[in-house]
Amino acid sequence: MTPQSLDTTSAPGQSRSGAGALMQLASRWRVPLTILALCALPWLLPSKALAVNVLIYGTFAVGYNLLFGYTGLLSFGHAAFFGSGAYLTGMSIVHFGANWLLALTTGITGALLLALVMGTLSIRTRGIYFSMVTLALAQLVYYTALQASSWTGGENGLRGFTVSRIDVFGLQIDFLNPLHKYYVVLIFTALALWLVSRALNSSFGAVIEAIRENEVRARACGYNVERTKLISFVLSGAICGLAGGLSALHLAIVPLDTLHYQTSGLVVMMTLLGGMGSFFGPFIGALAFLVMEDLFSLWTAHWQLFVGAIFILFVLFLPKGIWGTILGAGER
Amino acid sequence: MQDNRTKLNAPTRRQVVGGIGLGTAATLLGMPLVARAQVEPIRIGFPTPLTGPFGAEARDQVKSAELAVKQFNDAGGLGGRKAELLVRDDKLNAGEAATRTLELIEKDKVHAVVGALSSAVQLAVNEVTRARGMIYISISQSDTINEVKDWSRFTFHEALNPHMTTAAVAKHTFKKGAKVAYLVADYAYGHEMLRGFKRAQAAVGAESVGEILHPFGAPDYSTFLPRINAMKPDILCICNFGRDQANSIKQAAEFGMKQQMKIVVPVILHNQRLAVGAEVFDGVVGGANYYWGLEETIPSAKAFNDAFRAANGGAVPTDYGAYGYTGVKSLLQAITAAGGTETDKVIAALEALKYDVAKGPQSYRKCDHQSIQSVLVLESKKKADMKNAVDLFRVAAVEQSGEAMLRTCAELGFSG
Repeated sequence: MTPQSLDTTSAPGQSRSGAGALMQLASRWRVPLTILALCALPWLLPSKALAVNVLIYGTFAVGYNLLFGYTGLLSFGHAAFFGSGAYLTGMSIVHFGANWLLALTTGITGALLLALVMGTLSIRTRGIYFSMVTLALAQLVYYTALQASSWTGGENGLRGFTVSRIDVFGLQIDFLNPLHKYYVVLIFTALALWLVSRALNSSFGAVIEAIRENEVRARACGYNVERTKLISFVLSGAICGLAGGLSALHLAIVPLDTLHYQTSGLVVMMTLLGGMGSFFGPFIGALAFLVMEDLFSLWTAHWQLFVGAIFILFVLFLPKGIWGTILGAGER
Repeated sequence: MQDNRTKLNAPTRRQVVGGIGLGTAATLLGMPLVARAQVEPIRIGFPTPLTGPFGAEARDQVKSAELAVKQFNDAGGLGGRKAELLVRDDKLNAGEAATRTLELIEKDKVHAVVGALSSAVQLAVNEVTRARGMIYISISQSDTINEVKDWSRFTFHEALNPHMTTAAVAKHTFKKGAKVAYLVADYAYGHEMLRGFKRAQAAVGAESVGEILHPFGAPDYSTFLPRINAMKPDILCICNFGRDQANSIKQAAEFGMKQQMKIVVPVILHNQRLAVGAEVFDGVVGGANYYWGLEETIPSAKAFNDAFRAANGGAVPTDYGAYGYTGVKSLLQAITAAGGTETDKVIAALEALKYDVAKGPQSYRKCDHQSIQSVLVLESKKKADMKNAVDLFRVAAVEQSGEAMLRTCAELGFSG
């Protein structure tokens, strides 16, 4: 049971235990609470650059989870949306000298259109076939970026679009300052979180969960399953595109690896680690993964061994992930 | 509350008096210890791919860089100011390298960055350091980093570049009218090396009989090698790196191709030769920035090798490892000349620097900040000729350092 389904089935006043009431209250205010917690993040983590990465990959994982955790579609091609968002944002600045906000919008729009195309082609397949089709389509995008090197920089990656100063309603912000950058990125993360939360609390959110639980029954109830899946796919793609665009602005480069299938694998891993099917779980997963990677690789060159072992332990003993387990304990 | 605020915000009278007293005492007595404790160390960030396929080369780089820092500190540092090396694993991933470099600049407040071991990764580090006015010494091969589009006033390229490497190798291996076939790894490194060789081949008057691209990290070359055999070349030029080099040469040897043609590589790698053995590499010729055997003729190489052996249980430095030493050493020499870490002064000092720390005279060219240096052409020895386990190569030629080996400033897009 996810907190959202609790929300829709019972009113807050009817809860029996105090902890349950608190959970419901927290669940209702999840977006403001999350943002409040994120405001403090730069002071809790080892570095500001890492904190910005947590926002970016957290957004990426939350967007991915909409499709994977809530709609029940395991996509292996989400690197395509993250990467195309990043490349289009960077390319708009490099080749057309676009303003950073326009560039980011282009990135999101591009990822959205790509998701529409990929979604239309893949949505009718199911299970492993869906995973394979999305993987294959994402590889097409990877090779396109590799070949079109005059546009994308090919193997060397896209460079030359460092945004050092941004102008928000006449306010000049030094984007090279890590704290300023963090809070600008946080605004976009907050918008994305709110959008996902809103979608999940709407009747659309109930329908995608119904499709995940039992597709045949959802169809029998009269829902247009294909169209709902497609909308979920496109929304997920657009949010991942936003995360990619923010990553381009953050690092001022777009490496070709962004489009590699390992990036698709990374987001699956983060989502599983944090807890699929919970609103905040993927964000926690991204946070946990990036912090572990950062700390362990400073400490030993064999960091992959430890991160891998921890991941295996989670899969074996905490299949609901970090956040899912905490939520489960709270509900009991 | 009032007390707390006073303590946090402003020094108390007692602290001020104490500080002045201590300062005066230190000055009067000339106590170097106190003075040393007050200056901050010179911090050098060092992102390098400790994990991943180039891990062996990266670890050699770290050892050499640490040696350079230790020598600087043992010699008293900069008037007592010590240097410190902050090694970070970039995982051979450009995004990771950019994040790590941001951390080094923003959190660790480094004074300069040295490192990176792939074309894409060094360009990512270059982008980050350029925007923040941070000095960066790049120690991996790239032609792109010399070009005006990626040029940064703050970046110096200590490594060789594909253009000068291939020019030197081709000059000593290609002959007029010779037929050359190319086997090329299909990524930036392979493409840049191929471009360099073809340019050099035209200058020598050799002829290309075909080129075959293979995917990066290919374990099996059996489909490519018969096609090369059919071209009947005199020279097979294999442009790839790391494990790919060992695998492709090994299979070419198994196909008996070494009897029919000479195998030439742009960069012949110490670690890969050690990994597969003398029989396989026997007779293969390639370029290098450094080989420990230089110690017979070059005093600075002898000094570097001896110090490295003493610090690492008798092991000799390798080619890519030496970049860590020459890169950090040149930076510290420039900081010494500049008398501090002030960016503009260090840049001026690096541009004016003439250094000979391991391989003979080197200097940074003004327009593109490329290190002008010698290129070695090495030939792998037969097992019978080897005097010891690390006596791997014969120095076939040394292309002396000079600007003639580089592309002109105008060709790179610099106006001045």
